[in-house]
Amino acid sequence: MSKLMSSLYGWVDERLGLEELVKFAKKKTVPQHQHSFWYYWGGISLFFFIVQSLTGLLLLVYYRPGPDAYESVRQITYEIQFGWLIRSAHAWSANLMVAAVFIHMFSVYFMKAYRYPREFGWWTGMVLLVLCLLFGFSGYLLPMDELSYFATKVGLEIPAALPAVGPWIANLFRGGLEVSEQTVQRFFALHVVLLPMLFIPFLFIHLWLVQKHGNATIPSEMEKPEYLRRSIPFFPNFLMKDLALWLIALNVMSLLASIFPWEIGEPADALKPAPTGIHPEWYYMSAFQMLKVLGNVFPGALGEGLGITIFTLGLILWFFIPLYDGKHENGVKARNATYFGLLALFILIATTAWGYMVL
Amino acid sequence: MNYPVWDVPVIGSGWVIGIIAIYHTLISQFAVGGGLYLVLVEQKALREGRADWLPRLKQHSKFFLIVTGVFGAVSGVGIWFAIGLANPESTSTLIHNFVFGWAMEWVFFIVELTAAAVYYYTWDRIPRKLHVQVGWLYAIASFCTLVIINGILTFMLTPGDAWIEVAGTGNESSRFWEAFFNPTYFPSLFLRILICISLAGVWALVSYSRIDEHTDKETKAELITWSSKWLIPAFVLMPFFFVWYLFSIPEVNRGLLQLGISTIGSGAFTQVTRISLVMVMTTATIVGVVYFFARKSPQDFSFSHGVAVLMLAFLANASAEYVREMMRKPYSIARHMYSNGIRQASVAKINQDGYLTKSHWTRPATGSETSPDVVLAKGEAMFRGQCLACHTATGYRAINKYLKGREYASIKMLVTTLHEYAEDSPYRKYMPQLAGKEDEIAALVDYLDYSVNKEKSRIAQLMPTHKQEVVELK
Amino acid sequence: MNHSAEHSAEKIEGQEPLMSRRAFSQVLFTGVGMCYAAAIGYPVYQYLASPISRASEAVAVNQVSLPDANKLEKGSAMMFKFGAKPGILIHHADDTWVAMEAVCTHLACTVQYQAEQNRLFCACHGGVYDTRTGANVAGPPPKPLQAYKVTVEPTSVVVSKV
Repeated sequence: MSKLMSSLYGWVDERLGLEELVKFAKKKTVPQHQHSFWYYWGGISLFFFIVQSLTGLLLLVYYRPGPDAYESVRQITYEIQFGWLIRSAHAWSANLMVAAVFIHMFSVYFMKAYRYPREFGWWTGMVLLVLCLLFGFSGYLLPMDELSYFATKVGLEIPAALPAVGPWIANLFRGGLEVSEQTVQRFFALHVVLLPMLFIPFLFIHLWLVQKHGNATIPSEMEKPEYLRRSIPFFPNFLMKDLALWLIALNVMSLLASIFPWEIGEPADALKPAPTGIHPEWYYMSAFQMLKVLGNVFPGALGEGLGITIFTLGLILWFFIPLYDGKHENGVKARNATYFGLLALFILIATTAWGYMVL
Repeated sequence: MNYPVWDVPVIGSGWVIGIIAIYHTLISQFAVGGGLYLVLVEQKALREGRADWLPRLKQHSKFFLIVTGVFGAVSGVGIWFAIGLANPESTSTLIHNFVFGWAMEWVFFIVELTAAAVYYYTWDRIPRKLHVQVGWLYAIASFCTLVIINGILTFMLTPGDAWIEVAGTGNESSRFWEAFFNPTYFPSLFLRILICISLAGVWALVSYSRIDEHTDKETKAELITWSSKWLIPAFVLMPFFFVWYLFSIPEVNRGLLQLGISTIGSGAFTQVTRISLVMVMTTATIVGVVYFFARKSPQDFSFSHGVAVLMLAFLANASAEYVREMMRKPYSIARHMYSNGIRQASVAKINQDGYLTKSHWTRPATGSETSPDVVLAKGEAMFRGQCLACHTATGYRAINKYLKGREYASIKMLVTTLHEYAEDSPYRKYMPQLAGKEDEIAALVDYLDYSVNKEKSRIAQLMPTHKQEVVELK
Repeated sequence: MNHSAEHSAEKIEGQEPLMSRRAFSQVLFTGVGMCYAAAIGYPVYQYLASPISRASEAVAVNQVSLPDANKLEKGSAMMFKFGAKPGILIHHADDTWVAMEAVCTHLACTVQYQAEQNRLFCACHGGVYDTRTGANVAGPPPKPLQAYKVTVEPTSVVVSKV
């Protein structure tokens, strides 16, 4: 049996060069220090993305966009065997993926892992984050129940607040002046075709860059002499720990999906008044609340324009941080970047919490 | 209704027991498995001349003594307080039946606590051989506590025909041994032994993760590797004992598990199935996670790895205890006492004489007056007495959530279904029969209607304040 | 039990273990892997196979004959099995016969006939259906009940799919 396996492996190896991959993976090492825990969050995000792809594919089997959207999700939830499970797994792992991606981003930021030569890792990561948020936004509408309908409606206020192009973008998203069947249809196309088509190549570049440059060592470790730094081989040691966390992630997701299965509300009805406390998904809460606050301070188009401008400026700074703080030294720039990061984190958490408190 | 009702808002009194008990079993089962672990490691270290293990083992036994002797023992007493308050009738029945059993358990418990202290404080002070004997004394005494408490726990799910025959006659304790060695005694005992063994491994991993991997690399690696193997027997044998256990519980209870495996259909009732699947899955995850963490470089097994494994064990344990409790629905002692403390046999009598007439702790709202105040007070007393054991008003299994959107007639229908308790009623599987005279049942309907629909309820229309408002409006 | 750590196991020579350490852990982890595969594979298979079982259920039964059901009194109803699902046969006061599936379209509880209110009622969440057409009149049900065709014969009632 094992003889057969090894000759089969030999046959494949000769043609694909698997041995080189293994050699490469064995040579690669991952730094080991007291903050190593944060290295795993990229892997966890990747795991949830895989879950998303598989469960999404399964949902695609029964989901019907357009006027039938609500009915098809109702059938998946209540009539198809284990449909509730697949749908709940998809919804929960979407939320967990966004959370993992955010944690990954902030840990990369504070570990200064965006510095030379990893700038492109940071930039591709930012693109992936934006795509991930769009995945969330477009997917949320698809069941077309009351909650998702109104959440999408208020969520579209964010792009609509952009100066000049805002309403035009919002209309393009909606496929009309109101959220309707048209919107579901195009969100569906976005969610299952366009976004994956963009996401997957960026993901591969991102992963390839990680393989090429390896994990960044944190600045405080870099200051230590070489012989005091520790590292573990990527294969199999790091990979095994990665797998352990994947198992835990799978378990946490199943637990959430089984104890808090995603229900479906009343069908969306544009004529009904919006239920009280309607708000976008939690990962849009911060932007939503900031717009609301600035809109109150500076009434009218000025406030909204100002809000979105400040927001965009912040995002641009965030995006280009490697150009500002790209050197391996801990000077003023490095400290400023850290302060900026802490400020961003604080604003994000504070506005999100604020948004939920005033609901 | 011989006792006052303990109203715990939001989580309900049941979860007070649940939270304490889950925490307790995570430790007490370690106390049983960990005793065997300690003495076996010590013997192994002596036999194979591993002098470097002994100081580590001494540290571990201190950890063991503190965790089990303080946190385990205190939470065990906590269970007594909680069950006495939350479900006095069932607690009383258990004590009447098993007072001798508990007396035995307490003897073993005292031996156990003493032996654990002696074991730790005599490290390196008495001859090795004697020290190992103290360890064995602990292991045996703690095992005996499991042997006894398991009889009482399994009795509640499967009291056995022999005991049911004498139930309510006052001679219950004459069938002590039949009740004790009830149909699920052995499968449950073996399951729990396996859980104890694996928890000994899990807690040992947590304890050893604190060993410095720089100064004691070899020792740490050996101890972590060896302790992780304590998970193997449980993992290999658990499925068999689990199936045995499932097939020794009555068909009805098993039926509860089959509901809702594949659909969300019957709502909240299907929780138990899904959580039992989570339990199976978490058990597999624990083994996988320990393997991945500890296989290649056991010396790198860190405290956070240990805590992660412990949390998973907590999750698996919590699910297992939850499922075991849920399967007993609608009883606290199967076929004898409903979860709200009403004896199944006395329902007919209560229907005739009334429920509230025997309630010593409620206001005398038993009159035949029909003023809304009296009706609502009566309804509330019914609600507190018969519903509050499992439901809360607005929190866990909230009545207000379940009845939302139903008007008076529809609530009445549901309450009548529960009162009539027809042979084919689906509610028989999860809920006790609602007991009481017609006026009491009607009062409960009005009370529920009022708490869900407030001023739109039937009774609100009859209230003098309501009429006044109408007059004022005119 | 062979609890000894690796180096001591190597010390004991001449003792052939029943199964090598490596083989044992291989079996163990194949087992774990298979548990996972089954835990994930079974729901996925059932999910994909749902329409098959639904279709074969639908094909299996096209009509049932209910002996002596023609003696059902006016203004009353009876339950019957239509394949795997419960059905309800109603004999209205004006001597019309109606039969429909008795499975609530909300969460699949069984509905009951309430003569005094002249309605079909689902006690689970309070859904109400019309007794003649099966139309969902009140409560959460999203769809009407599926109606069957009724033929009254001298000694029985035959219910068949429309």
